[in-house]
Amino acid sequence: MTEEADEIEQLIREFFDENFAALQLEAGHSLAPEVKETALNQVLLYWRRLKDVASKVTDTEVRLNLPEQVSPRGRKFGIEGVVDIVRENDRTVMYDIKTHDVDSIRGNLETYEKQLNVYAHIWQKLRGQPLDETVVISTSYPEVIKEALASGDDARVEYELPRWNPLIEIPYNIDHVDGTILDFGETVDAIEDGRFYAPSQDKLQSKLPGTKTIFAVNVCRNCDARFSCRSYRTYALGSPRAVERNFQVYFNDIGTDTERDDWVIAALDVTPASATLDELT
Amino acid sequence: MITSTVSLEQLWREVGFEPNTNQREAILHVDGPLYLPAGPGSGKTRVLLWRTLNLCVFHGVQPEEIYLSTFTEKAAHQLKEGLRGLFGLVTNHTGIPYDLSKMYIGTIHSLCQRLIADRRFYPMRRRNAVPSLLDELAQYFYVYSNRKWAELTGVSGLEDQANTQINALFSGNTSLSKYAAVTNSIALFNRLSEECIDPEIATHQAVEPTLQAMLAMYATYKNSLYTGRGVNLTDFSLLQQRAWQILDQYTDAGSIFKHVIVDEYQDTNTIQERLFFQLATGHSNICVVGDDDQALYRFRGATVENFVQFPERCQVYLGTEPRKIPLSTNYRSRADIVSFYTDFMARCNWERPDHTPGSYRVTGKNIHAHSTDHKTAVVATTPSAPEDACAEIARLVRQLVDTGKVENANQIAFLFPSLKYNGEMNGQVRRMKAALENEGFLVYAPRAGRFLEVEEATALFGIYMHIFGKPSRGNFSSTDYVQFHTWVDKAYDLASDLIHADSQLAQYVRGRKNEIETVVADYTSLLEIASRNGWDLNAPYQISTMKRLLYTAPGLSERAKKAIASAYFEKLVQARLDQGNPFSLDYILKRATSLDWSVVDLFYRLCGFNHFKHMLDLAERGEDEGPICNLGLLSQYLARFMDQYAPILTADYFVDDRFQRMFFISYLFALFRRGESEFEDAEDPFPRGRIPFLTIHQSKGLEFPVVVLGNLRKDNRGPQKIETLVQPLVNREGEPLDKMAEFDIMRMFYVALSRAKNLVVLAHFKGPGNWINEPFRSLLDDRFPRIPDFDLDTVPAATLDDDAPPTNYSYTSDYLLYQKCPRQYMIFRKYGFVPSRSQTMMFGSLVHRTMDDLHQYLIAKRMHS
Repeated sequence: MTEEADEIEQLIREFFDENFAALQLEAGHSLAPEVKETALNQVLLYWRRLKDVASKVTDTEVRLNLPEQVSPRGRKFGIEGVVDIVRENDRTVMYDIKTHDVDSIRGNLETYEKQLNVYAHIWQKLRGQPLDETVVISTSYPEVIKEALASGDDARVEYELPRWNPLIEIPYNIDHVDGTILDFGETVDAIEDGRFYAPSQDKLQSKLPGTKTIFAVNVCRNCDARFSCRSYRTYALGSPRAVERNFQVYFNDIGTDTERDDWVIAALDVTPASATLDELT
Repeated sequence: MITSTVSLEQLWREVGFEPNTNQREAILHVDGPLYLPAGPGSGKTRVLLWRTLNLCVFHGVQPEEIYLSTFTEKAAHQLKEGLRGLFGLVTNHTGIPYDLSKMYIGTIHSLCQRLIADRRFYPMRRRNAVPSLLDELAQYFYVYSNRKWAELTGVSGLEDQANTQINALFSGNTSLSKYAAVTNSIALFNRLSEECIDPEIATHQAVEPTLQAMLAMYATYKNSLYTGRGVNLTDFSLLQQRAWQILDQYTDAGSIFKHVIVDEYQDTNTIQERLFFQLATGHSNICVVGDDDQALYRFRGATVENFVQFPERCQVYLGTEPRKIPLSTNYRSRADIVSFYTDFMARCNWERPDHTPGSYRVTGKNIHAHSTDHKTAVVATTPSAPEDACAEIARLVRQLVDTGKVENANQIAFLFPSLKYNGEMNGQVRRMKAALENEGFLVYAPRAGRFLEVEEATALFGIYMHIFGKPSRGNFSSTDYVQFHTWVDKAYDLASDLIHADSQLAQYVRGRKNEIETVVADYTSLLEIASRNGWDLNAPYQISTMKRLLYTAPGLSERAKKAIASAYFEKLVQARLDQGNPFSLDYILKRATSLDWSVVDLFYRLCGFNHFKHMLDLAERGEDEGPICNLGLLSQYLARFMDQYAPILTADYFVDDRFQRMFFISYLFALFRRGESEFEDAEDPFPRGRIPFLTIHQSKGLEFPVVVLGNLRKDNRGPQKIETLVQPLVNREGEPLDKMAEFDIMRMFYVALSRAKNLVVLAHFKGPGNWINEPFRSLLDDRFPRIPDFDLDTVPAATLDDDAPPTNYSYTSDYLLYQKCPRQYMIFRKYGFVPSRSQTMMFGSLVHRTMDDLHQYLIAKRMHS
């Protein structure tokens, strides 16, 4: 590793620690050591794998704004998004960084296409800036790299790294933009009108594209509000007759064993000493 | 579509803005200090937005060269949103982007935090560590803690008389209450910090021995926050001093910002004034906007003279006069309302005492209405007993709603000088609430009385008592302690009923109690093993010697065994050992006996039982938002407790009733007796379907189609004690002590009256024990319009607010989140519930922020080379 690259990795660790401390204070939460490590690795591996992208970024965290839109019900609103831009030799590329894995991004390509097409529209048509390409960067590295890292064998990491393609090119299709903006406006109306029904059973049972899991597992089980949610309740409790039986399981669901372990470890990490607790009483 | 240039006029046309002469002058002003006395509803926010835009777009000022401070987070948010929209418009014309995230926009406190971390303010860009901020509740717990209070009273020399002496100084009675003494001390500390009083110097000026003792306590308090040896804390008041010191130490600090713009300047205090002028020394561009008539925050150290005498202060600090441009046209209210409150304000004598020129009020304002509708818009009840007057108002409200003069009950605000008396909802407020309920209305007044006493909180914490054990009543007789335990009993009984009525809830509560018993039994058993083997709890955990013995502890539950034997955990133990940072035995015992849910997890599960679920369903259907708002607030209080004291509940929390004492007696009791702070931001818009009851302080900066002033009486009890204590210590000529209370009352009613757009309703109470303040008494004469004779048809219907800047929605955290699950969006994004395990969110922010830092660094490096 060159000296410069080494210096930057050191810097990334510093930035990371600073941000971690700040966020811990803001959120009052911590992260389990493994999860924290994964987050750090995502940035480090991004740097190692996509050094030329990272070094060429010209505008970071660019806030795009599509102002003065009107919803179907006559509400004024603006659309906002954040991207990174690389400009080099008359070529401009827009990057959107996601912490999801490549498979889930590829599985949901339509969603990302719509999003980046609106961003591209703002950049190109409204700002009058050139744009040659829109790309999603996935920072979630694959299982093989995870194993290579765990083995501590640098050569193995170096071998796997180039085989990982974290860049997903998003085709630009202007035809979608109007439809997306219209749909966005309808969502604005729904939010302002106070329409907040939980999704249907069908949606809960449906498999999320690009993943092996269904909505109820992937989304609902990570949502604290599932216990009071009619849709999730129906999913989790099943037929009225099964309710009595499943009820305890439903209310005592605290996540998978690993999730529970992670939580306990992270929480113990920030728990004050007993002596402090008696201070106020 | 793209034009290379755009003019301000063109932009105004596009958004339909037609500034009046003074607004235009103010927007176009570029160089030198600017003084904008702005009446209510005079469009000052718009002026600030356009002026900022003018500076950046047409005068080459960079966003990072602008400092724009406001009074509340909400106002800051509105400015940010407004600017984002307008700058977006410009960018779409010119193609030039503006990075507003670099602009300093926020409350003074948030901007101080940012400034302390900003490398531009340090020589060689080597910044100091940013202190952690104790907010008001955290500051209270900090001072109240046994150790700290002993330390502070120790230096005071007051010995065991400290509490009584301090309380005697403030209230004249020799109460023993530690709570009162702590609260009084904090009030003084904060005021001393805001006035920049040096305790060393002040101690020679103070006559009162107790005050001298408290100055010593203040010095110790201040030093204890920042030791230079790892402790780096600050409170809201000292945060400003810390920022000011950084400016003071760095010679170029006054040139970093080309423009310093301050909104609500009438509510600034001494340290803030120093800060603002210090920031503006380099370019002399300081613009202040405010209305001395709306100054409300003397009790937080605000000195309205900072605004009234701004021209003189500019001379002193910058050696130049500001340009004064009054914004006097009111675009909010019908003409009758404007002339009523203008007349009201003129009926007080604001002159300085004999032979001194000038006034305690900004003169020559000429506030006038833009509206040409001169029909009656201020109406009073028939002068009558409170019950009758309230009933008359309730009937009027019914008519306003039924005839469509308002779209929703939440557009009628009831404002009161105060909502509470001795911590509980006061009589006038209760009466008004009853009258409205009698007409079939729901009222939203979570901050009238104690928040803990709202039904949602009472029921929820009652169930917590059933699970964790009801706190026992100690041998204390103070009023609030007795009231608290009355609430505890009520909560416990209410929960008993709920549990009785819901067999699943009963089963769930029983399950949790059993679980707690299990972990306590496990803990005792494991401790026994440790003690029998003579293991030190703080010594490193040795898998080889300890694991088997712990695992086979008698009566150990399956869950504890599983935790001890976990292979995943064993790997971690080994890793920590390799790092030379091994786990202690104590840690292992806690881990094996921890509950796998927190107080916040418990909250979300209880929300699943019918009683609470019904409240969430009401919101999901858009019927009533009152209960869900209260639940959201409860989640915030619980999350705070979890973060600070109990991220996880381990068995040792249940030893010696530690949890009961900590959660109920310390935490909830503190919330109970402190009540809600009056100056907290009110929600806006208010829950649909409910009539908001607010203090006048909460209504600051808001507007409503209809305002009911529920009580025209506010007694003049002379200046607050703290004013008389502090006045001899400050070297400034302010408003005279004997006028303060009168001025403050006038200003408060002025704020209330000027909130209304279409109609003001005044409750005119008469009869034994009831009176109303002057000048209401003179104004509400025989010819004054009364409700029975009032023609409702003359009131225009409330319209949707076109003036509000369009809301910006984020593609990912609004649109996509709603698309994923509307209900999740509602609960977490709209009503601010605090998630229990937000690993995903924190993970994302951590990665994104770090990548941004990396990119920033690489860009800077490239530019450098």
